[in-house]
Amino acid sequence: MSPAGFPRTPPGPGPVAPFAIPTVHAARLDSGLELRVARRDGVPLVTALLVMDAGEATLAGEQAGLAVLTGKALHGGTARRSAVELACALEDMGTHLATSVGWDSTVVSLTCAADRFPRALRLLSEVVLTPGFPDEEVERTREQQLGGIRQRRMYPAQLATAAAAHFFFGKRATYGRPMAGTEGTVAGLERTHVAGFAAGRFRPRGAALVVAGDVSGAAVTDLSAECFGGWRGQAAPVEATAGPRFGERRFVIVHRPGAVQSELRIGHASVARTTPDYFPLIVLNAVLGGAFTSRLNLNLREDKGFTYGVSSHFLLRRAGGMFRIATAVATEDTAAAVREVLAETETLVADGPTPAEVRGARDYLAGIFPLRLETTAQVASGIARMFVHGLAPDYHARYRDRVRAVQVDDAAGAARRRIRPDALTVVVAGDADRVAPELESLGPIEVHHDF
Amino acid sequence: MISIPCEEHSLENGLRIVLSPDPSVPIVAVNLWYDVGSRNEGPGQTGLAHLFEHMMFQGSRHVAGNQHFELLEGVGGSANASTWFDRTNYYETLPSHHLELALWLEADRMGWMLPALTAEKLENQRDVVKNERRQRYDNQPYGDWDERMLAMVYPPGHPYRHPVIGSLEDIDGFTLDDLESFFRAYYAPDNAVLTLCGGFDPTRALEWTERYFGGIPPGPGARRIAGDADAERENHTVSSQTVEADVPLTRVYAAMRVPTFDDPAFYAADVAGDILGRGRASRLHRSLVLERRVAKDVAAHVFPLMTGAAMMLVRATGNMGVDPGELEAVLVEEIDGLRAVAGEEVARAVAMAETAILGQLEVVAQRADLLSMFATHFGDPQRISTEINRLRAVTPEAVATLAGERLGPENRAILTYVPRTSA
Repeated sequence: MSPAGFPRTPPGPGPVAPFAIPTVHAARLDSGLELRVARRDGVPLVTALLVMDAGEATLAGEQAGLAVLTGKALHGGTARRSAVELACALEDMGTHLATSVGWDSTVVSLTCAADRFPRALRLLSEVVLTPGFPDEEVERTREQQLGGIRQRRMYPAQLATAAAAHFFFGKRATYGRPMAGTEGTVAGLERTHVAGFAAGRFRPRGAALVVAGDVSGAAVTDLSAECFGGWRGQAAPVEATAGPRFGERRFVIVHRPGAVQSELRIGHASVARTTPDYFPLIVLNAVLGGAFTSRLNLNLREDKGFTYGVSSHFLLRRAGGMFRIATAVATEDTAAAVREVLAETETLVADGPTPAEVRGARDYLAGIFPLRLETTAQVASGIARMFVHGLAPDYHARYRDRVRAVQVDDAAGAARRRIRPDALTVVVAGDADRVAPELESLGPIEVHHDF
Repeated sequence: MISIPCEEHSLENGLRIVLSPDPSVPIVAVNLWYDVGSRNEGPGQTGLAHLFEHMMFQGSRHVAGNQHFELLEGVGGSANASTWFDRTNYYETLPSHHLELALWLEADRMGWMLPALTAEKLENQRDVVKNERRQRYDNQPYGDWDERMLAMVYPPGHPYRHPVIGSLEDIDGFTLDDLESFFRAYYAPDNAVLTLCGGFDPTRALEWTERYFGGIPPGPGARRIAGDADAERENHTVSSQTVEADVPLTRVYAAMRVPTFDDPAFYAADVAGDILGRGRASRLHRSLVLERRVAKDVAAHVFPLMTGAAMMLVRATGNMGVDPGELEAVLVEEIDGLRAVAGEEVARAVAMAETAILGQLEVVAQRADLLSMFATHFGDPQRISTEINRLRAVTPEAVATLAGERLGPENRAILTYVPRTSA
């Protein structure tokens, strides 16, 4: 028995604490390079992040994987330093360079102790402005990328994710191809391609230097003029590809003989990040599969025990996006799990979320927002995303109000507009011999042995 | 480095409390360490500590199943837990003004989890955990490395000889009685540390902890670590194992038992691991990846374990077609090479560790977890502010001595995966 004084119901809230959104100092260098500086004290760290208009989506299909290769090859050294010398110079300062290439951008970043920041930023600029791309490092990096492509079959989650993109968009669409390219497109890439891509797209106009941490805007302005002052040029604008196309519902099995689990990816193409439906969509997604207490997780995990977890996402990019539900389930539960996912999705679109669900999702999203801006790296990444998608300068400041403004009808409308149950593609990476017979009760199945 | 403010308190029932206020943030991290992990599992009980952790989210006396997450997510909080060899932690991060809710939830399940336990909930979470095992271990290339390696590194009877996730067979066998005994033995205020970190008022917080946790009776005391932590592997017996499996590339793991986290020599092992395999300037990366080009990726890491012996784990994934024997030979050569290290290598490892520690301190949830860890393992949460000094004190000679004494072939286990030749 619990003691008499123990409350039987949960205690209510106290007074709300204010949340200081980092203020951003914005400036532009003569070269066109945008500067964004967010001062944070507390922990003496600084993150510097250079975001450039050099994503995979800028490439034609024949060159798929070149941006990824170029990003990785930046570790190969500079005009003055070998790969080892570069690594030692960075790590002696307690930092390392991260290069991250996505559809929309190439990001080069580092986080270091505040007192080492000036030296670290000089190194970052040396890497981007005067990359060495020695032949042997480009070749080694390319072989590793090829290895990753060839070995993808062995990693069920990666395989399912790649297959989902392929079947949601079609192989000719930009977002349908694997981000790191294919054996065919990568095998022929040489130093000249890598150096050419960097020379063409690593340019200040259209790029931004974002600095967050224990450093002043004035200090960053001076330092960035020193480090990036001589940088010139603009990356050529690239046409955005077309929006989503929807087809019939499909069931695709990517065969993995003997798999003990099936990796499921269920979804379809979607809209760009700038959609006016953005806030209704994230509220809707929290209800469907974006939180532990979402409909999908409570059903598939906490009720049925089919999976360790299930989630849904709207992955929204510059020129379009993807709606995708992801989970891994025991082989014998595959068809039952697919049936539940389809039913939950159909019900949500047909009936919309309940007022209580929308209220809970709004409070959840508004409440966790400060957790997404805790570190200097998170703040810098958030500002970089605003830059890439052209979001308003007060985006972070208004985020929670805009979430709280989403009404039940907004979320229900977004569900009807942005989720098409009849057009869902169901991708199963699993043992076709064991899962196909029962899956066939849901519709015609395609089995791919060599994806 | 920065100094993290913290004050320590304890309740009459033995619950230790660490308060680390940071008025600059509107969030608070609640972090609860129970001094129980897979090391407390006896034969036939592997995976019990972890399955039990799942059951702690299935409701308690005043909290219905799933209500824990519903209440926390409903106020904009996140919550989770994890089980490790030496401990189990439960944590939530939420807007500061809901701190009292989190304390109520944690107290309710610390005191009165058993009244809500049912066979149906056990069956459901048994299935979830089995799927966790399939997803993370059984359906992954190299996924069973820890199961194989722990059994080579630690001798029969050692509490670290089995992986935290446990075997499917043991997981299948657990009953409500097993869970109940486990709860009664380990889930008690005198076997836990509660840390609060972030924006909150320490005086109010202390009142709340007394109100919610004060009435929970202490446990029976005398908790045991299963097996024999001092069991020695027979010396001069090289353990090695080669496995043909569904893996894309040859991979060699080497593991050595090293001093425990509470041994001053631990920090020399930690630095040795970093010199060997942390970052692109590390010896393994330079030698195996950049110069000899036999490996695709490398890593070395020391697990900060408390019981008998910690473990240094070293790994190299070979490039396509590399000979497994050659990969092992060059990996071992670099481990042996640690008997001579340069001052600049130690300085680099310390510089990297400094940044990494600062990075952890940025996140209130991680700060809270570190405070709980130092309070649980060392009885001293203030170590959070001085930990870097112990790394800075490591000398090249200390690393060389550690390498000579602990990283040699007599204390080394080697596990090699080679791709299955026929489908």
